[in-house]
Amino acid sequence: MSTKLFSPYVPRPVTLVEKTPLSDFVTRFTFEQDNGKPLAHKPGQFVNLSIYGIGEAPFSISSPPRRTNITFEIAVRRIGAVTGAMHALEPGAKVGIRGPYGSSFPVMKFVGKDVLIVAGGLGYIPLRSLLFYQLRHRDEFGRIVLMVGTRDPKERIFVDEIADLAKSGEVEVMETVDMPDSTWKGNVGVITTLLPKIDLDPGNTYVAMVGPPIMYRFVIAECRKKGIASEQIFVSLERKMKCGLGKCGHCQINELNTCIDGPVFCYTDIEAYQEAI
Amino acid sequence: MTTYTVYKEQLPGLFEKWSKQYALHVPARLREGFYDLVPWRKDLEIAWDYDVAYNSPKRFVMPPHEALITYDRRTYEAKPVFGAPKQILFGVHPYDVKALNQLDQLMEGGSPDQNYIRRREATVVMAFEPLTVSPSGFWASVGASSVAHGFDLYWTKVGPASFTVEIGSAKGEELLAMGGALLPSTAGDKEGARRAKARILTKARKNALRYNWEETPRLLAKCWDSPLWRRYSQMCLACGSCNTVCPTCYCFDIREESDDKLETGTRYREWDGCMLESFAKVAGNHNFRPKAQDRYRHRYFRKGKYIYDKIGELGCVGCGRCVRACTAGIANPLKVFNELWEETAHEY
Repeated sequence: MSTKLFSPYVPRPVTLVEKTPLSDFVTRFTFEQDNGKPLAHKPGQFVNLSIYGIGEAPFSISSPPRRTNITFEIAVRRIGAVTGAMHALEPGAKVGIRGPYGSSFPVMKFVGKDVLIVAGGLGYIPLRSLLFYQLRHRDEFGRIVLMVGTRDPKERIFVDEIADLAKSGEVEVMETVDMPDSTWKGNVGVITTLLPKIDLDPGNTYVAMVGPPIMYRFVIAECRKKGIASEQIFVSLERKMKCGLGKCGHCQINELNTCIDGPVFCYTDIEAYQEAI
Repeated sequence: MTTYTVYKEQLPGLFEKWSKQYALHVPARLREGFYDLVPWRKDLEIAWDYDVAYNSPKRFVMPPHEALITYDRRTYEAKPVFGAPKQILFGVHPYDVKALNQLDQLMEGGSPDQNYIRRREATVVMAFEPLTVSPSGFWASVGASSVAHGFDLYWTKVGPASFTVEIGSAKGEELLAMGGALLPSTAGDKEGARRAKARILTKARKNALRYNWEETPRLLAKCWDSPLWRRYSQMCLACGSCNTVCPTCYCFDIREESDDKLETGTRYREWDGCMLESFAKVAGNHNFRPKAQDRYRHRYFRKGKYIYDKIGELGCVGCGRCVRACTAGIANPLKVFNELWEETAHEY
């Protein structure tokens, strides 16, 4: 009987150790697992985070997998009940988590290849997990190109980190904003406008992209135009994930459950699904 | 398969004994044309000829509101909550047994849902061969007129005061034996049961799909862009009644409630429905199925294709509850599937 006391719905406690504002609305949260173990996630996976009395919501893990370190990071936009309550937390506070859940970016496939990372809006948050994993094993990959698109300069996140990446020479960084202000000196236009500006070796390039729903169709079309095959394109899709176990039905894309079949999908596997992109 | 014959006069004694150990639910008439499984009591008249229980039996294994965990906001400890009352569902029609079997597969598969599993394990299902078919039922044409498993006992009325009872499990046999020595059915009684089934099937086939139900997923695969979805869904009130009464709809939301000191609380699941406007809406108000048409089509695809692709059965058992529950008169799997079939008939 005792083994049956297990329930996948029970979260475990983690403690907030650091809280860093990234923009007016977005904050990075660093948590430490109370069980003293690393989270053991893969890039692209998510956790369901609970603030008791408020609710539970899914968040992508933003930090790369760590072998011994028991901390992990997520970055969150203040937009609803759970994210609002999270922003009111101070270091030392506890929250509950379940997971990590879901599919991940197939980093082993990327080994020896060039990788184009396309981050629209908050898409950089989950992609950061992949990017920093690759940087830890930098010589195992070819070129790493990072494209970042933001609505306006004020909403840019991880600004210093991205600037440092560009300076490091390890990542080719291209940035754009849709609506520039007087401070902005860089590219202007939606993220798709960056693709024609770069030469890629289509047969040797894998793409990982995360962004707002509207973005995928256009960026995928640009990638295809460049000759990158569907099998080389990986997307992470957002849906209303509730249970994280493939049961509650909210996150379905046609017959797929985003929480267990995704959130990371190879474009080939979802091309035929009308509800996907 | 062992079959025994049981006489009506034995029933009050059996029910009495069972009800001491189990919550016993039996079919009864609520008012003209409305039946349901209700708690048994001595003076209750059993509605042997009920056509369909207006509320499906899924509520016994997956209640509309079910606690999953309790939490403590001070320590952030959480504990699982399992409720699993011992219950007997007597008189469940085969299409509803089939629906339960389907829930079993979906809830036990993948990441096993312990809350469901425990409730199901504590539930005894006593199936009953229907004597009447509801005007909206079409179960005989979707492969839901008989079940090979999923019941502990299967009752068939073979005479004015006699039943054959097929044993489906050791638990069922044990419960039946509480009435005294078991009387193996004669060949004549077994033949009576076969005739009873044939009789009801003849009636049930009056409402039928115009094609073999196994074609449904292939049919739907061609019909994503059919004008039918819009034609029907324009009247959808997005009330979720079809989801609520459906014996195979099991989507749920997860919510929680704290005590008045905000120290401890309970997280529970609650039935949800894909026809409700907010079902696929995420934070920031992006709705992945904003139109009634999207939601309506999704439900029929789930019943006719997605579930089939997963477990090889239709997600619709043809009970016809949604047909009756829909105030706009648009929920009707039989009509929808038949019309799609006609629409695409020239393609075959």
